Amino acid sequence: MFKLLSNVWNQFREYLVLVSLVIISLSLLTQNNNPQVQNVRAVAFGSFATVTSVFYDLFNITQLKNDNQVLRKLNAEMMIHLSMLREQGILNRELKGMLEIKDTTSLPLLPATIVSKSLSITQNTITINAGIKEGIKPGMPVLSYRGLVGIIQTCSENFSIARTIKNVDLKLTVKNENKRLNGIMKWDGEKLVIVDVPRTFDFDVGDRIVTSEISSIIPIPIPVGIVSNIEEDKTGLLNLIHIKPFEEVLSVENVFILMLVENTEKNNLELNFYNR
Amino acid sequence: MKLKYFTPLIVFIPVVLIQLTVIPFISIQGVVPNLLLIAVVYFSISNGQIFGTVTGASYGLLFDLISGNLVGSNMLSNTVAGFIAGYFSGETKREKYLYTYSFTLVVFMSALINAMIFSFFSVMDFNTNFLQALFNHALLPSIYTSIVSILVVIIPYKRAFD
Repeated sequence: MFKLLSNVWNQFREYLVLVSLVIISLSLLTQNNNPQVQNVRAVAFGSFATVTSVFYDLFNITQLKNDNQVLRKLNAEMMIHLSMLREQGILNRELKGMLEIKDTTSLPLLPATIVSKSLSITQNTITINAGIKEGIKPGMPVLSYRGLVGIIQTCSENFSIARTIKNVDLKLTVKNENKRLNGIMKWDGEKLVIVDVPRTFDFDVGDRIVTSEISSIIPIPIPVGIVSNIEEDKTGLLNLIHIKPFEEVLSVENVFILMLVENTEKNNLELNFYNR
Repeated sequence: MKLKYFTPLIVFIPVVLIQLTVIPFISIQGVVPNLLLIAVVYFSISNGQIFGTVTGASYGLLFDLISGNLVGSNMLSNTVAGFIAGYFSGETKREKYLYTYSFTLVVFMSALINAMIFSFFSVMDFNTNFLQALFNHALLPSIYTSIVSILVVIIPYKRAFD
């Protein structure tokens, strides 16, 4: 028996090793939502991100000059906008006072820097230098001043990994800002699309797309992009809406984390696409 | 214990650092070269098929853990890629495939298989046009990876110019 096993091993050891490792890989693929796997991942990326952040900063210095120039221009534009908003704010307060409505909107935003990016065509993720210590939790939206960047997936003490909008595993409920039409947005590996939109839905090229308040992940409207193309589905009954995102995931370096997680009680009641 | 068993571990850290920090700066329309795969192919040709398969699996698993990818996806694709590259290993083949431009062809083939498996588990659905997906998700990154792998031939081995 031992000789037979020995013969089999000698003859087919390459294949036996391959098959064993493939089986291990496939079983790991099915265990991605297992809390133990999540913990191992949190420890692994947390430790490595410390090294990566130092390395990334070194390369980032060359980019800072260009960024400064862009930011200065943006600052000037924002100053003008701010001046206009102040005027409108004063008017708004007066009108609200007249209607006796109190202003309750104050969104907690935490600034963070991207320390590494794992880019592939299908599964883009970013690692940011804020973690559990700062109060980050999985499910929190990550955004830049242009729009939505992604959603926090895993956290360690000092770092977090976020799935970007260009990740096939992230599906979001979005809506057409003007026409109030909702749909499910996903990255199909090539483009950002709203899938299975009935042809009766009135989407037009150029329409602004924001996250929908009926989303079980993001509770407030955050700009996502604009409609760039409308494609007919193979069935002829549905449309595929192409979206050009406001934020280019490849170039973003500084982000904000919106420190809000949608109500868990509501999440338990609704179909949560994030947990799919 | 032979040093050759530790070399992939020592090489892994700088390679993955470059992959996660520098490579995003040289991406073309989201297409990036896969440096880890180049290392896997190199070790597979130089040390044999089993070594390459195990190195591929280890690299894939570690990369999945630290990059936030689906755990097991890179492990599976790198395992198979390491196994395929191992066919070009052997006393007589090693010189031919490791130190000449044939290396880039082996990298291209392994990268193509790697990317196809990775894409299959991450993007394929019933609405996907298989040929288009093959082109965008497998062929372009494979070409880019094989172009970058020329550096492995050019930089340390002058014999490539013979």
